Amino acid sequence: MQKITLVPKEQFKISIEAETITPDNFAGKSAQDIGAMIAYEGNTPRPLSELFDITVDGSADAADVKIEINGNVARVKRIGEGMSAGEIVVNGDVDMRCGALMRGGSITVTGYADSWVGREMRGGEITVKGNAGFYVGAGYRGEPCGMTGGKITVFGNARDYVGEHLCGGEIIIKGNAGILPGVSNKGGKIIIEGDTDMPGSEMTKGTIIVKGTVTEMMPVYQNEGIETVDGVEYTKYVGDVTVDGVGELFVK
Amino acid sequence: MSELLIKNAVVYDPINKVNGEKMDIAVKDGKIVDSIGNGADVIDAAGRLVYPGGVDAHTHIAGSKVNIGRIMRPDDSRLNNKPRTKITRPYTGYTVPNVYAMGYGYAEMGYTTAFEAAIPILKARHTHEEFEEIPIIDKGGLTLFSSNWMVMDAIREDDLDRVAAYVAWGLEASRGWGVKIVNPGGGEAWGFGKNVAGLDDPVPNFEVTPRQIIRYLAEANEKLNLPHSIHLHCNNLGKPGNYTTTLETFDICKDIKPKRDRQAVHLTHIQFNSWGGNHWGDMESKGDEIAKYMNKNDHLTIDMGQLVFGSATTMTADGPVQYANAKLLKARWANGDVELEDASGVTPLSYHPESYIHGIMWAIGLELALLTEDPWKVLMTTDHPNGGPYVNYPDVVTLLMSKKKREEAMAKIADLTFERTSIATIDRELDWYDIAIKTRSAHSKILGMVEYGKGHLGVGADADIAIYDLKPDETDSTIEYEKVKAALRRAAYTIKDGAIVVKDGEITATPMGRTYWVKSTAPSDAHDRMMADLKMKFKNYYSVNFANYMVQDEYVHNPVIEECGYA
Repeated sequence: MQKITLVPKEQFKISIEAETITPDNFAGKSAQDIGAMIAYEGNTPRPLSELFDITVDGSADAADVKIEINGNVARVKRIGEGMSAGEIVVNGDVDMRCGALMRGGSITVTGYADSWVGREMRGGEITVKGNAGFYVGAGYRGEPCGMTGGKITVFGNARDYVGEHLCGGEIIIKGNAGILPGVSNKGGKIIIEGDTDMPGSEMTKGTIIVKGTVTEMMPVYQNEGIETVDGVEYTKYVGDVTVDGVGELFVK
Repeated sequence: MSELLIKNAVVYDPINKVNGEKMDIAVKDGKIVDSIGNGADVIDAAGRLVYPGGVDAHTHIAGSKVNIGRIMRPDDSRLNNKPRTKITRPYTGYTVPNVYAMGYGYAEMGYTTAFEAAIPILKARHTHEEFEEIPIIDKGGLTLFSSNWMVMDAIREDDLDRVAAYVAWGLEASRGWGVKIVNPGGGEAWGFGKNVAGLDDPVPNFEVTPRQIIRYLAEANEKLNLPHSIHLHCNNLGKPGNYTTTLETFDICKDIKPKRDRQAVHLTHIQFNSWGGNHWGDMESKGDEIAKYMNKNDHLTIDMGQLVFGSATTMTADGPVQYANAKLLKARWANGDVELEDASGVTPLSYHPESYIHGIMWAIGLELALLTEDPWKVLMTTDHPNGGPYVNYPDVVTLLMSKKKREEAMAKIADLTFERTSIATIDRELDWYDIAIKTRSAHSKILGMVEYGKGHLGVGADADIAIYDLKPDETDSTIEYEKVKAALRRAAYTIKDGAIVVKDGEITATPMGRTYWVKSTAPSDAHDRMMADLKMKFKNYYSVNFANYMVQDEYVHNPVIEECGYA
């Protein structure tokens, strides 16, 4: 077991690109080694030691690394990008693209996760205890696939375009979701326990389950009658028919 | 200016018939010379491979459709990113790199000249604006005449001199080097949502056929005594069964008498036009048929248009084929209309070895190069970025040089590929001399650039030299293909006009290259007839004014102008 604690030394005004903060990078490294790693503040490269107080306890492989971040990192982007194992806990808010391209391990954010959390995630698990921004688990601009594996759980609300271009994996929003969740999805599963609007446009494959209220349906789905999922009755829709989709949309 | 001596070079210079000779190369004032004084800078090549700087006769590096590719592929722009240094600007992109990386990427591989293969006259200013910012390499471009109203109207009236007069004017207006023909007539038909089905299918409203367009432009090309032949992208590209159209097209120019020592026609990316079968289900390779024709005839040259597995961004003036691609693959699609001149389309796609269709395409490119006996007749290209990005040239070279490498690649490709192609039965392995021909010397010869000192290392040639970190005597290219690939990907030295621009694969200097274009003239009576028609068309149809149309000299940096007369 190796435990690394990061505490920001200052209130960051310019966003920090911190894709170096991953268990894979930190595994087996001393506080000094970690401190020498680079994060960009805007276009300026800065060593992590200038940005954070770093304490390291023990040494281990990535799978047994736990990184805990305490303090305000609401302007720190790309935490845990591409990580394959281990654990990151952020006690507070994070900026955009936390857990992007993640392949394994887990990230917990106790506060708000800004847009693109878990973008193009391949595996592993992200838990957001607060709210999440736009494009949860989506594909970044131009990508044919968003998330392809793993699981994202948001305990609060999520904003628009949850799981855009989703190709696999699972997204659970315990609160409400903004407009067009699962737009252009080609696989995977989205469960929205609260309310949402216009789910699943241009969906070709995959599953969306909405337990709350759907304000407006896109008129591109075929009603297939009542079906029971996990003991709950839903109206089942199949579509998007305009793109010959066979995606399944369950609405209460 | 400076002097440079490259000692102990193992030189392959096919134009001067130098085949792996160990020798010294002397450079003075940016040119190759016989000998120089003692004060020269010295590079000890120490028995390493030395080639003339690479020349690419068919690539898409600049212009409006390349930029559309960039705009529609933000995903591509996140690949291969490299921050700026004191010398270089940032790199972005793989299939459609940013303008600067376009030049850096070529130079890193030892290439020093590249020709943009499609300039619509109306959008030529954009091409030159990008040329202006592509560092290091020398550039030129081929101007599109394939679905042009001026050309087709003159053909309808059987006025060859007027066709020639317009070609001369169009080359000047676009500051172009040669005549490019893409799916002749198809671009105009696409304006009505149609395509031309074959060489004798008339173009709507013009009643001229693709065969006539090719024939007239080929004759006009020789009348104008242009350095390059017509450069032709055949009809029916990308359709199973298209090889019959391709073979018919080959015959059209058989009796054209080239005015210079070169081919009568260059047919480009023939891989995409060598398909047998009737539909996708029974598609097969006819690369062997095409190669058989190439072995029997000497009036034409081709380039491979080799497919590289992975991401590609297809871009062409062949509008209808891009619509078909985008529909078939449910891909992104951009469509362009070039007013009276042509159409165009851009579609990103990905080539997968698990697909036998892509496997067959991969095999055809190699068949064309390996079954055609004369290496001067088939250029190595990927039709960047249609078959794959140019940074993969070293990989393609190793496929040509090593059967073992081909077998390794074939193990990952869908089995059906090998029932439909003959690639598995080909034993030929090219040597360093053949590769020098296929990657520089033949490109230069086919373009008409030999007299401009490109593609060779004879006395008087431009001192564009590539030194690769590889000793041909000690390297078995049939087995050590990983080593070959690594060496070709990052040149030990790239020397441009006598100055070192790349050392150990890193850019060390970024001089600006030249732009080559052709100024030709037609008889004044034909020119007058053409101008009357052209002014009428501007008045009635174009969205721009005649006075704002032609590319101004200010846009062309370091121009080199070939002036040629009417014959």
